[in-house]
Amino acid sequence: MEKAKISAYQLFVLIVLFELGSALLIPIALEAKQDAWLAILLGMAGSFFLFLVYYRLFHYYPDILPTEYMQKIVGKSFGKFLAFLYILYFMYLAARVLRDFGEMLITFAYPRTPLFIVNALFLLVIIYSTRKGIEVVARTGELIFVLIFFLGISGNILIFISGIIDFKNLLPVLEEGIMPVLKTTFTQTLYIPFGEAIVFAMILPYLNQSKKAKFAGLFALGLSGLILAFIMVINISVLGVNLTSRSQFPLLSTIQTIQIDGFLERLDAYFMITLIFGGFFKISLYFYGAVTGIANLFNFKAPSRLVYPIGIVILLLSITIASNYAEHISEGTKFIQLPIQLPFQVIIPVLLLIIAFFKHRKKRGK
Amino acid sequence: MKRKWFFLFLILTSTSLISGCWNARELPDLAIVSALGIDKNEDGKYVGTFQIINPSYVTGGLQGGGGGQGPPVTVYSSTGDNIYELTRRLSTKSSRTLYYAHTNLLVISEDLAKKDGITNILDAFERDYEFRTTAMIVIAHRSKAEDIIKTLTPLDKVSAVKVIKTLKNAESLLGEEPTVTLQEVIRYLVSPGKEPLISGITLIGKKKNANKVANTQESSTPQARLESDGIAVFKDGKLVDWLHGKTARGTAWVLNRIKSTIVNISWEREKPAIEYTVMRQKTKVSAHTKKGQPQISIHIHAEGDIGEVSVPVNLNDPHVLRKIEIEVAKTIKKDVNDAIHRAQENKTDILGFGEAFHRSDPKEWNKLKTNWNDVTFPKLEVNVTVEAFVRRSGLRNKSYLSELKNKR
Repeated sequence: MEKAKISAYQLFVLIVLFELGSALLIPIALEAKQDAWLAILLGMAGSFFLFLVYYRLFHYYPDILPTEYMQKIVGKSFGKFLAFLYILYFMYLAARVLRDFGEMLITFAYPRTPLFIVNALFLLVIIYSTRKGIEVVARTGELIFVLIFFLGISGNILIFISGIIDFKNLLPVLEEGIMPVLKTTFTQTLYIPFGEAIVFAMILPYLNQSKKAKFAGLFALGLSGLILAFIMVINISVLGVNLTSRSQFPLLSTIQTIQIDGFLERLDAYFMITLIFGGFFKISLYFYGAVTGIANLFNFKAPSRLVYPIGIVILLLSITIASNYAEHISEGTKFIQLPIQLPFQVIIPVLLLIIAFFKHRKKRGK
Repeated sequence: MKRKWFFLFLILTSTSLISGCWNARELPDLAIVSALGIDKNEDGKYVGTFQIINPSYVTGGLQGGGGGQGPPVTVYSSTGDNIYELTRRLSTKSSRTLYYAHTNLLVISEDLAKKDGITNILDAFERDYEFRTTAMIVIAHRSKAEDIIKTLTPLDKVSAVKVIKTLKNAESLLGEEPTVTLQEVIRYLVSPGKEPLISGITLIGKKKNANKVANTQESSTPQARLESDGIAVFKDGKLVDWLHGKTARGTAWVLNRIKSTIVNISWEREKPAIEYTVMRQKTKVSAHTKKGQPQISIHIHAEGDIGEVSVPVNLNDPHVLRKIEIEVAKTIKKDVNDAIHRAQENKTDILGFGEAFHRSDPKEWNKLKTNWNDVTFPKLEVNVTVEAFVRRSGLRNKSYLSELKNKR
């Protein structure tokens, strides 16, 4: 564990940027059709519960990383094994998000550039900032957060002004009852993007005011949930459900539809800037989680040196996890949810918490 | 020291990489496509006509002198089995790579739209990252798409710009040309509860002279000219009917697409007598089921001014204005009813009534949607109510015509 401290506000900012990262980019929750926003809000509500689980665990062991407290909770060897699985999980997700962004850039802006080059350049920046430590990432977050907020607000104003919004597209609400929405929530939105906040379990011990962690976390999840639901409402009301679900990048299509008086149009840069920043933080945090995890598990003295080898692994992983974009996306939004996301985000943390709870009661009993 | 050299190396290599030259395309290597026309030839192949902006001649005229001699646009064409092939086949003729990010107009010939339908040709445009789905789509009425693309026009030198501006102008002042973008057309093609409408454009006059620079150099009406001409009605992706004038306007009323329009009413058996200009309007379409029968109610709220009177009438009198309002409402209602009957005869739901049902009663809609266009829609009961308000009457109250009448 490096000697670094971040404030509650920085944690808040990081969580928001992290949640918005790739969830704004890829089409999520569209199995629920025009009620996608509802599925997102329900996912957000579920994430409050998950975050409280992560927070309680942190509360029991405020000074050590999850990779360490796992060993205390379930025993040394099994704990180490579990921690190792988590590290692999973080690396896999870092590679996934990197691929998301590489694909976006290639499909939309650089069709003739090889994926490897795009991903490598993006990762280079991430390696650099992660090497500098969590404090630097957090401070960058504070700066970028303001910028993204400005972009988000002005972008929305432009969408409203150009008069392309038709809220009728959101009707009928709950066309086939609540079941499709619940199904989407429990097979998708709960895990992507909200449950992914599990990586913040690796960040929480760096907090200088650990009491404020709960408030900052819940507030950040709530805000990002509202933003995502709002953006989904905008997407569907501008494009209609059909086009939204046929779009590779719905928000991009929405922004491309903006036309104000024949001179303000083609604002694709808005989308690119927001998304690249979001992706930067999402990958950085996963990456950081993997690096500190490995350093902690294998007692590395200088974690910053680990960034290069792990970076290369993530880079290669991002190229090889899928042979095409369709495969990549359907893996991300369908296949990995129940076998991978559910145990890592929900089952294991909850079990750990139950064991930790009884252990602590026993201790107190003595 | 070593570290310094390493950083220098890193900086140098990154400048070559991050400058973005990988995909660099220089302006002289690009041909900016302003409009694209699609026809089908006798062999059943698609013929694409590409209007390419000739930058030096577009601006040339403004600078005066030497410039504006050549044509402002160059036209290339190619044939192929599908749209993507067309664009690639063109490379055998064009010295520059085609660049579609500024393509604002897509022209489809009436023939193609009638026989083959438009369903098969739109995918390439939506999928391509350069082409914009906000591009306007029009049907070449009574002419080939090629002819529309080739025509040179005065004032707006690039004819794609001229077509777009003309249609938008007609839409905002007359209300008879609801313009549509590619994105909207695809959305309505897919939706079971609404069929697309596409505005028409036609080439009038001597077609032979259309592509000559001389066509733009007469102060009188050019020998060949482009005019907006009706709206094309589609069913299952195929063109089935054209709407003109009042029917077109009635359709625009139902679609809530009227920005401004004129309504001509009669007064004491004289017609045309009073010109009413609609300034703002709001149309609400609601669907409900009555005794198991689907019904549609349309409510139109219009506000406007008096534009012209040709009979002596006292516009100071609120009672007179009230009478005018009732007349206006009647006239609008007639237009709207005509448009609805026409759509029902065509058996195609261009008015979006199906979507209204989908929104208000999704369960009922699930039963109705399979036979919507052919069975339910043509027999649908539609109630139209119109409220019209006269707000102002311009700079004069009574017309001088009243004084003339008194003088006699």
